[in-house]
Amino acid sequence: MGNLLGRNTQPSRVTEQDKAVLQLKQQRDKLKQYQKKITFQLEKERCLTKLLLKDGRKEKALLLLKKRRYQDQLLDKTENQISNLERMIQDIEFMQIEMTVIEGLKVGNDCLKSMHKIMSIEDVERILDETQESIEYQRQIDEMLAGALTQEDEDAVLAELHAITQGEDIAFPEVPTEPIPEVPEAARAQPERRGAKNKPDREMLAA
Amino acid sequence: MSFEWPWQYNFPPFFTLQPNVDTRQKQLAAWCSLALSYCRHHKLYTLDVLEAQESPVFNNKKIERKLSMEAIQVVFEELRKKGNLEWLDKNKSRCLVMWRRPEEWGKLIYQWISKNGMVNSVFTLYELINGDDTEGEEFHGLEEWMLLRSLQALQTEGKAEVFSMDDGKGVKFF
Repeated sequence: MGNLLGRNTQPSRVTEQDKAVLQLKQQRDKLKQYQKKITFQLEKERCLTKLLLKDGRKEKALLLLKKRRYQDQLLDKTENQISNLERMIQDIEFMQIEMTVIEGLKVGNDCLKSMHKIMSIEDVERILDETQESIEYQRQIDEMLAGALTQEDEDAVLAELHAITQGEDIAFPEVPTEPIPEVPEAARAQPERRGAKNKPDREMLAA
Repeated sequence: MSFEWPWQYNFPPFFTLQPNVDTRQKQLAAWCSLALSYCRHHKLYTLDVLEAQESPVFNNKKIERKLSMEAIQVVFEELRKKGNLEWLDKNKSRCLVMWRRPEEWGKLIYQWISKNGMVNSVFTLYELINGDDTEGEEFHGLEEWMLLRSLQALQTEGKAEVFSMDDGKGVKFF
């Protein structure tokens, strides 16, 4: 009845696989009920066997034990069948999950494709070029606004920075040269060579 | 955990329908809640009126008082008006007791389903009320008609769909 109601308002969301799973589960339930029945019987017969042994009716007890053994085997078989059914159910359920995964991948793929259509390589190149141009333009504006510093100034600043960092290293060896009165020829030539570099140093020292 | 009887239960006049309208209304309300909590405690879902008369709810042996058949019918009728009871036959001899409404049962079941990640799975009714997995859940041992009602309540919310296969019914949760 509920099913009919469901169908009237919207298409049933129960698939053929669901029905198959239900059928399998129904079989499993039946087996479980059967199992319960046998377990109950086994328990009952165990008590009965004890009673028979107490009464000394050994043959009857033996017969019962044989029956019990058989039922035990049945129980094992049922257990196997149940696990078979359950494996099948799990397989079906897993397949359904796999199907949804594939469905998801398909949707993702389609989405990617349609997005690629919108975004052609030429467009990207053009946009990138334009961006680069804009950056360049922006840089020029920045320079103009920041004013004074041209490329040459920048170089000079860098050179000075370099000299300062160099100067710190050289400053130490220069100290002992001063008190010595006679400077060898070779040593005198050296400062000449490095004159350009050392000049800022001296300015620093003087300051 | 034993059932806790309300104080009225040991109060003899409680077992006679009161003529005064106000008193009677209070009395009926107390009877209704007693009957419902008794059923809830003992997990009763169907009642037979004749049997009910003999059960401890309506029959207090300690003070030797019992509710008359007519009074029981009045109490049951009151429960029916509140939506907690439904007659199974025209003679009003058997009834279904719903101390928890189907929607609430449905909610409980659905909570369990979603907690265990079993949305989108198929279940047999047997599995839900007698299966090993639901052992210890409140709805374990629920009577099938009650389960079916609660599932139908879920179905109207679009959270489940009941369908049948061969001789048994199954349900799929969404």
